[in-house]
Amino acid sequence: MSIISVNGLRKSFNGLEIIKGIDFSLQEGNCIALLGPNGAGKTTTLRMLSGLMEPTTGTITFRNGTKGEDIRKYIGYLPQYPVFYDWMTGFEFLMYVGELGGLSKKKSKEKSLQLLELVGISEAKNRKVGKYSGGMKQRLGIAQAIIHDPLLLMLDEPVSALDPFGRREVLELLEKLKKQMTILFSTHILNDAEEVCDELLFLHNGQLVESGTLESLRNRHQKSKIDLEFKEKPEKYLNSITESGLISSMNVEGNKASITVVNLDEAKQTIFQHASTNNWPLTKFEISRLTLEDLFMEVVQK
Amino acid sequence: MSQFVVLLKKELLESWRNFKWIWMPLTFILLGVMDPITQNYLPKILDTMGDLPEGAVIQLPVPSAEEVISMSLANIDMLGILILVLASMGIIAGERKSGVAAMILVKPVSHHYFVMSKWLSSLLLMWISLFLGLLASWYYTGLLFEFIPFSDFLLSFVLYGIWLSLVITITIFYNAFLKTPGLVGFISLATIIILNMVSGILTEWLAWSPARLMSYASQSLMQDGLPENTIASIVLTVLIMIVLLFTSVFIFRKKELAV
Amino acid sequence: MEIIENLNWAIIAPFFIIQLILLLVAIIDLVKIEKTNGPKWLWAIIILVVNIIGPILYFVIGRRNN
Repeated sequence: MSIISVNGLRKSFNGLEIIKGIDFSLQEGNCIALLGPNGAGKTTTLRMLSGLMEPTTGTITFRNGTKGEDIRKYIGYLPQYPVFYDWMTGFEFLMYVGELGGLSKKKSKEKSLQLLELVGISEAKNRKVGKYSGGMKQRLGIAQAIIHDPLLLMLDEPVSALDPFGRREVLELLEKLKKQMTILFSTHILNDAEEVCDELLFLHNGQLVESGTLESLRNRHQKSKIDLEFKEKPEKYLNSITESGLISSMNVEGNKASITVVNLDEAKQTIFQHASTNNWPLTKFEISRLTLEDLFMEVVQK
Repeated sequence: MSQFVVLLKKELLESWRNFKWIWMPLTFILLGVMDPITQNYLPKILDTMGDLPEGAVIQLPVPSAEEVISMSLANIDMLGILILVLASMGIIAGERKSGVAAMILVKPVSHHYFVMSKWLSSLLLMWISLFLGLLASWYYTGLLFEFIPFSDFLLSFVLYGIWLSLVITITIFYNAFLKTPGLVGFISLATIIILNMVSGILTEWLAWSPARLMSYASQSLMQDGLPENTIASIVLTVLIMIVLLFTSVFIFRKKELAV
Repeated sequence: MEIIENLNWAIIAPFFIIQLILLLVAIIDLVKIEKTNGPKWLWAIIILVVNIIGPILYFVIGRRNN
């Protein structure tokens, strides 16, 4: 079942279009990464999904889209730079937000203590938030986002500002939360996305350039590449295999040739065959993969 | 409703922690006792300390108790308003500027309650501070001049409180769509000053103006019963407050918080 | 003259006590608070030197909320 679907979403600020018409829908229970370079429109998209901003045009439908229902109670949101009331303690802030989220006082207290434990800042619970470090604020931010048991948790660059340790911990936390709710988080780091998510949305210049499950994206884009190196100019040897139809593109530079192939196994066999029968002066044969990283770079550089 | 209580409690706790509940009433008390004390001692101080030529006699008319209390009112009308506006100019704008408003409003929080809780907590603080300030003025005037009936004091307190309620409502109104606390303070004060000046000049035309409540409050001390047009002025003030509050909530909801 | 001075004191004392409370609360807050609008030492001087207005000014504009 889809938890949220977006249709023809556009957003302009002062006549400048930031989001240029995107469509997607998120399946319940998935973990989805919203990927894109800085300035792609990730934050704007998340803000619209969370209800903080109105789309210029387009619709956002939550589940079956009951009209007039306040969808905020189903949504947990962590902005890129979470801000709190500095004069409150971490525990007080969670209590407050929990009660605003509709929990009873007792329930909110219980939940707050439990979450402080979960995100690992219970020893600082009675300290003023003003005295928290950046990493502690990020954890408190996650705790406040999930205190009312949202169905959809959205996080804006939750790990970008953290050191490697903090990053690891937050990713592990997300791994845990994934079992309880749908997660959508934005990042510009592909590794983070690959680590916890099963689905990716690539955003670039306000447009959705690619999307799908990790698996399907890999299958679609993970082409194999064969790098060959010869003792001399390779053109005359390679003519024989270009006709075979196994090659999708070829790039020759000096004595080196880089061949993108459709089917790795067949291509390998054909090349070996030709190499041995025609006695190619080969010095190097290497198989490499085009990864999502390459795709990402390709998209960004376009 | 319970959400409103949660929001209101937070506001009250905040103004307790940042000492508003201490310094605001104390400041109003100081403003209140200043005039009775100076009016009583000024002639004596001048008498003993001034180096006047031999034989000169200062003849200062001794003000009546009612006059002294109206001086306190006038004193509060200048400094009290300035303090109230400065103290509440960031109540929403500041939270939006820092970004904490966005953290709160992604939760299922009613925009009505959010604005109203801030309005009500500012109002509570103002009414209590004003009461203590005027009470101090009344008491000191009683000690140093003569006691006026407590009911007279109460009446002028209520009349004046209604005007200050509008002052706070105006500040909340600008808070709803401006993001810079300083700008909110400036425009609020400008609005109040203009309203005051225009109403002061066109007294006949604008007899119903909320800004006239200040003079009705001091007139009510001097005479029996309510001054003419007081009721009309109260009704108009309350109506303007209601309209301003609803508009603030409306604008606040339309306004995009995160930008 | 003596009578006046006696009366004087009883009536004016609360005025000074309130001033003192304002000053103390402002100083305690200034010590505890992390950041102020403008340098802290400047506010310390304003609170201590400028009578009545100093502490009030500090509360109204010196304190940085959030």
